[in-house]
Amino acid sequence: MRRLQRILALVFALAMIGAACGTDAESVDNAIEPSEEDSGSSGDGAEDEATSEDPDDSDDSAMEETVGFAGTIKFGAALSETGKFSVEGKDSRQGYDTWAEWVNNEYGGIKVGDDRYEVEIIYYDDESDADTAANLIQRLIDEDEVNFLLGPYSSGLTTGASAISEANGVIMVEGNGTSDSMFERGFENLFLVGTVASDYTKSGIEAMAASGATTAVIAYEDTSFPTAVAQGAIAHLEANGIELLATEKYPKDIQDVSAIMTKFRDLEPDIFIGGGHYNDAVLFANSAKELGFKPDAMLITVGPSNPKLVSELGDDVAGILGPTQWEASMAYEGDYFGTAGDYAAYYESLWGEAPVYQAASATASGMALMLAIESAGSLDTDAVRTALRGLDAEIFYGPISFDERGVNIGKPMGTVQIQDGEIKVIAPDKAAVADLVFPIGE
Amino acid sequence: MSQLLQVIINGIALGGMYTVLVLGFSIIWGVLGVINFAHGEFVMLGAYTAWLANDQLGLDPFLAAPLVFLFMMMVGFAVQKILVNRVIDRPHLVSLLVMFGVSIILSNGMKLIFSADFRRNDTALDGSWQLMDGVTIPVTKFFVLLAALGIVSALSVFLQRTRMGKSIRAAAQNREAARIVGIDVKKVYAITFALCIGITGAAGALISPILAVQPFQGPPLTLKAFAITAMAGLGSIKGALGGAMILGLIEAGLAIYISGIGTNLAVIASFVILVVALVLRPQGLFGGLRPVDAMAS
Repeated sequence: MRRLQRILALVFALAMIGAACGTDAESVDNAIEPSEEDSGSSGDGAEDEATSEDPDDSDDSAMEETVGFAGTIKFGAALSETGKFSVEGKDSRQGYDTWAEWVNNEYGGIKVGDDRYEVEIIYYDDESDADTAANLIQRLIDEDEVNFLLGPYSSGLTTGASAISEANGVIMVEGNGTSDSMFERGFENLFLVGTVASDYTKSGIEAMAASGATTAVIAYEDTSFPTAVAQGAIAHLEANGIELLATEKYPKDIQDVSAIMTKFRDLEPDIFIGGGHYNDAVLFANSAKELGFKPDAMLITVGPSNPKLVSELGDDVAGILGPTQWEASMAYEGDYFGTAGDYAAYYESLWGEAPVYQAASATASGMALMLAIESAGSLDTDAVRTALRGLDAEIFYGPISFDERGVNIGKPMGTVQIQDGEIKVIAPDKAAVADLVFPIGE
Repeated sequence: MSQLLQVIINGIALGGMYTVLVLGFSIIWGVLGVINFAHGEFVMLGAYTAWLANDQLGLDPFLAAPLVFLFMMMVGFAVQKILVNRVIDRPHLVSLLVMFGVSIILSNGMKLIFSADFRRNDTALDGSWQLMDGVTIPVTKFFVLLAALGIVSALSVFLQRTRMGKSIRAAAQNREAARIVGIDVKKVYAITFALCIGITGAAGALISPILAVQPFQGPPLTLKAFAITAMAGLGSIKGALGGAMILGLIEAGLAIYISGIGTNLAVIASFVILVVALVLRPQGLFGGLRPVDAMAS
């Protein structure tokens, strides 16, 4: 029996290690969809190996033009070049660099009073580890003496990093850490240009309520981010007078949802809301089909804004709704990059690929800081903070205006619907390029 | 009443899926004494092979499954020759660790080749059949169940009736005695491992239209196979079928009749049954080829 005990103990230990290794799959889930993980990953805080690179390394000629600048404003960011968020880290960095490139080479530098300042961004690799990110933020503040900070990727990393920036009184603007809990700490120096998790389903639910939906069911993975999204959805359903018939939680890595869908089918709701990871989107679509469950609308919180889901699932996801922070097709427009489409074209000319929303959020974070600095006419933290609080602008990313928590309440979360094999933005009205089709198939 | 019928159908359909997933794992453990920690990764390899066959050749996964079986048999044979054979006489833990290493290599290797983007395999056998009002039969899972029953029958005949099958059972029961009576145990092991990896790969092909195909889908499948095998009996074919069906029905029932957290309870259920079975009946509910705590040799 001792041998058995040892085997079972080892199997358990290996299962745990395997589960930890398996989280890599999520990293790429996250690459294209909103699903931040609050847990840190492996990594021992070897910050000495972090890379610091020249700002604007994409264009050496930028250095020659620095002659015309009155000075340099230093921005700092810890981003994941390695580890489970390496893909999102790369997208975020390209987003920040797009902003720096544009400011230095197209715009002519940030206006502070009558002077123009060059943007310099100092990056370190946080190895997708929350502790490392927090240490690097301290280093950026102490050793590199940055003026302002840009956020890392994911709620987990931003939570720790923003605690350091807050303690040091340095402003951090970010777009890729959206958990509501971060903004309930009373921080004064953390600003989010994106929409918080609890509002992911808001515009979608409002659009469906306006189309006559009266009942709904929700199934969600009981991990941090999907739970925050689902709790937000429950509140939005109530606010829109939609009756919630049932709520089901399910564990991560689920392999069968037919029981949940059977129960839901028998309740005959108007709306099905579900979400967690991509695999869940596949399971929900399959299961609804094989059980003959046909609600008037299905809103899946992770997946529908990803073109891969559409190409893999084809007709099975026709009519399905999903939230998105930003799409290049959105009808937003601003004085700087022009329309969302113009921004996407500029981004693509730099990097040879279309921007995902993480990149757009990163660029928008830089833009928000720039607008606040210009409005304040100063690099003083208090003045810029006050300017950020009073900011009311519209850019390619959408409207930006922060509430007292530091959350952008100007930009509603977008909702897309898969129509004729294409991802179309249907809400909010300001960003919509198509009308909601409700019920599906009408 | 119609809901109960639907629960039973869901449970049996799920049981069918678990059956094809567990067979290869169970026999390798039962016969070779190797806990194949890379089981889920071999399922994943089979699923990718089927997906590729569909993507490149337009082959339906149900038609591709026999080809995937042959391909994965070769993979299994190679893994057995190169790795497993060298550690088979050493304690269980060594082979367990070797297979754990293989699982990490396979999942990360596939991530490098195919990226972590998920895929889904299309099949013509999808949708549902309406049995009566409020009761449907899922078509894909129905055919997976049929395939599972086919594989179970063929394996039973192979193990019971053929000379090689009898050699396999003999080697499982007593390796030394099998050697003494002239059975080439190494050959038996090679064939068993190749056959089981072939079945595991075919299982991957069959479930590729049901679960998203991605490099890291393996570990939860390995754990499920582990739970069903240890609970039902090592290397027992009827155990694999029975254990999978019991678990499928329990999971389907819990998930539908317990509100809110039923699906979570269903996941716990398999391990509760595992723990109870290990304590009360280490040879498994259905009696395996060897007790779960048998020595490596």
